[in-house]
Amino acid sequence: MLNFFNNSNIFIWIEKLINFINSIFFALLLAALSFALIFSPPDYLQGDSVRIMYVHVPSAWIGLASFTCIALLSLINFIFKIKNFTLIAKSIAPIGLMFTCIAIVTGSIWGQPTWGTFWAWDARITSMVILALFYFIFIASHKLISQEERANKISSVIAILGLINIPIIKYSVEWWSTLHQPASIKITGTSTIHPSMLMPLLLMFLVLILYCALIFLMKYKTEIIRIKKKNLKRL
Amino acid sequence: MISNFILMNGYGFFVWSSFALTFLVCVVVYYRTLKTLKKYEKEFAKEIEELSVEQKKIVLEKSKVASKVLSSYNKTI
Repeated sequence: MLNFFNNSNIFIWIEKLINFINSIFFALLLAALSFALIFSPPDYLQGDSVRIMYVHVPSAWIGLASFTCIALLSLINFIFKIKNFTLIAKSIAPIGLMFTCIAIVTGSIWGQPTWGTFWAWDARITSMVILALFYFIFIASHKLISQEERANKISSVIAILGLINIPIIKYSVEWWSTLHQPASIKITGTSTIHPSMLMPLLLMFLVLILYCALIFLMKYKTEIIRIKKKNLKRL
Repeated sequence: MISNFILMNGYGFFVWSSFALTFLVCVVVYYRTLKTLKKYEKEFAKEIEELSVEQKKIVLEKSKVASKVLSSYNKTI
């Protein structure tokens, strides 16, 4: 069982997964874009500007989920010292930062027609900016600290500290009075979004998750090659 | 019909700029990631090729990653 998790086996599975994602990605992307831009109805209040939701919301979900993953992996790695978890966390971070920034910018674009302003320092937006900063410091600690073990330790502490920000982002719209609307989709409880909008939203989320998986797998593959390359020099 | 689709009842600029930005960033990150991966694959394959026959044999027997990278590199050249 443990042999399955060695880098050689993981490498072979990564190649298979990349090929699988490549084979279904464009068909799914085309379907998701058609629903998001053509078939889904405009909102009765926000009109067609609601279509921004199909890129904004999945990006925010991915930004939050990625950081939660990184923080949990860092926490487990801090206790059990599993080297692969560091590689996974390191490979997820740039994707998380990218989608957090996309969520902030598309949210800002959506803010102009909806709230009448591109930017407001309200609780949800500010906590998302703080999340982007945590991502930035996490990535910078890996880039700037040359000693790998030290970089791993410092980045783990940053990720664990950043975990505090996740519930703040989630509940910011309930704890403070903000311009941002409360969540329409609830895992526990009834969602307030119509199925004609929920379906394209979930489809876009699936496409972006597949894209993230593709980038993550390529980055992870690069990390494995980098380690093998280093080992080759020791020969 | 087409102009309605482009103008989105006055929200076209906001909707299209959001989608275009997301698409552009995704494409740029994809190509940069792919380029880095290819660069590492190429460098790794070259380093294996530069090893002595005996060392190369040991590396290829021990490491599935090395043999995979080398075979895919040899296919591209």
